[in-house]
Amino acid sequence: MATFELYRRSTIGMCLTETLDEMVSNGTLSPELAIQVLVQFDKSMTEALESQVKSKVSIKGHLHTYRFCDNVWTFILQDATFKNEECQELVKSVKIVACDSKLLTQ
Amino acid sequence: MATPSVSAVYIHVIDDVLSKVREDLINSGASDSVLTELQALWEMKMMQCGAITGTIERSSASKTAGVTPVHDLNVPYEGPEEYETPTAEILFPPTPLQTPIQTPLPGNVDHPMYSSSPMGPNDYPTPVNDMRNGGDVKGGRPSPYMQPPSPWMTQRSPLGVDVNVAYVEGREEVDRGANQPTTQDFFSSGKRKRDDYALNFQDGFIPQQDGAGDVTLEIFLPEGNELKQFSASSSGVAANAETVSLQDKKSASRIPQLDGTNDAFDDMFLQGGNTPADHRVATPSVGTPKPSTDAVPEDDEPPLNEDDDDDLDDLEQGEEEPNTHHLILAQFDKVTRTKSRWKCTLKDGIMHLNNRDILFNKATGEFEF
Repeated sequence: MATFELYRRSTIGMCLTETLDEMVSNGTLSPELAIQVLVQFDKSMTEALESQVKSKVSIKGHLHTYRFCDNVWTFILQDATFKNEECQELVKSVKIVACDSKLLTQ
Repeated sequence: MATPSVSAVYIHVIDDVLSKVREDLINSGASDSVLTELQALWEMKMMQCGAITGTIERSSASKTAGVTPVHDLNVPYEGPEEYETPTAEILFPPTPLQTPIQTPLPGNVDHPMYSSSPMGPNDYPTPVNDMRNGGDVKGGRPSPYMQPPSPWMTQRSPLGVDVNVAYVEGREEVDRGANQPTTQDFFSSGKRKRDDYALNFQDGFIPQQDGAGDVTLEIFLPEGNELKQFSASSSGVAANAETVSLQDKKSASRIPQLDGTNDAFDDMFLQGGNTPADHRVATPSVGTPKPSTDAVPEDDEPPLNEDDDDDLDDLEQGEEEPNTHHLILAQFDKVTRTKSRWKCTLKDGIMHLNNRDILFNKATGEFEF
C-alpha cells in the first residue's frame, strides 16, 4: 500500500520523528527500524483519518499563491476562515499542502 | 487545547503504530523496553506541545521514560514552531512523487542515520553513507533477522559522533526558522566572495581602492544611507583594506619605481597596482579614467551584496513565517478554477491553526485569487 509521508509534518508526526531521532542517536534503535516505524505511522495516520474522523470543514479565503508540482497542490491563503460543526477559526495566512488522493487508491 | 476527539485519534494512531511495529522490532532483536521508551517519549512530546490533552491510560508507562535523558527532549522542541523545524525533511527526504516539501538544501545533508533508507530511491548522498553501506545494507530491512545488537553498536559508535554533530548543526538552523539555510548559504557564499575580493585586492586591486575608496567613502558617507547602515561592517572592511593597502602601497610604489616615469602620477592618484604596461602607455589618459572606473565597482559591490542578503532575509522570513505557523496537510480529490475562483475538495486532513490541531474527513475550499 502506498503511503504519503505528508503527515510526518504534522504535530504527531514531528513528535514521532524527534522521538525516533533521539532513540537512534542514543543507539537504542537502529535507523532501519526507525524508518519502519515512520512508514507504519504513515499508514496508521492515513487509516485513522479515513476511519476515525468524520468532521467536515469549509475553507474560504484569498488565494495568495497556488502551485501544483509533483502531484502536490500547495495553496497559501490569506485571511482564511475555517468552519466546522464546532468552531470557526480565522487565520491571517495559512499554507495548505495536499497530495493527490488518487495516488493512494492505485 | 485540542478537542478530546483529536487526542483520541492521536492515541489511537500511537497504539496502532506500536502494535503493528512490535513484531518487527522484537524480531529484530529489540527488547520490549525499546517500544515502551518509544511510546513514552512520543506521548510525552505530544503532551508537551498540547496535541494530546487529558490523561492517557498508560501514564505508568510514560514514567519509565524518566530513564532517558530529558535535556535532549526539551531543548530542541518548541511547541508552536514545530512546523518550522526542518528535521523531517532533513532526516527523511520526501520522495519526489508524493511530497510537496522543499527538497533538502545543499548545505543540509540528510541525516546520515537514515540514509540507508529502504523506502525507495535515496537521491541524497551523504559522506557517511559510503562508510556505512557495507554493514548496513546487509543488515537492511528485508532480512528477517538483524545483526546482533552488539556488533552493530560498536560499528556505529564512532559514527554516532558524526551524526550528533550533523544534528546539532541542523538544530541551529531549526532555531532560526526553516528558511535560514538558504539565507545562510547566501551569506556564507557572500562572505566567501568578500574573501575572494579581499584576495583580489592583494593581487593588485587594492591600491586603486585606497585612492578611490578614501575619496568615495568620504563622499558617500554623508550621501548614502546604505553605507551608514553598514557602517560597522564596511568600516571593518575599509580598515582591513587600509591595512592591506599600506602593505600594497609599499609594494606598489616599488613597481612604478622600476619604470621610473610614472612616479608623479602614482603620487597624485595613489594607484600603483595596475600593471606596469598600463603606466607605460599614455599615462595621463590612463590615469584619469581610473578613479571613476574604480569608484563604481567599489561603491556598488560591498553595499549591494549586503543589502541583497538582508533584503532576502527580510522577505523570506516575512513571507514564510506566518505561513508555517498555520498548516494544513491533506489529500485533494479535486481542484478546479473558473476565472479567479478556485474550488477544491480535500479529505483526510490535519490542520494546525492557532496552535491547535483540528482533523477533518472532508473539506471544501473556495478561494479568490
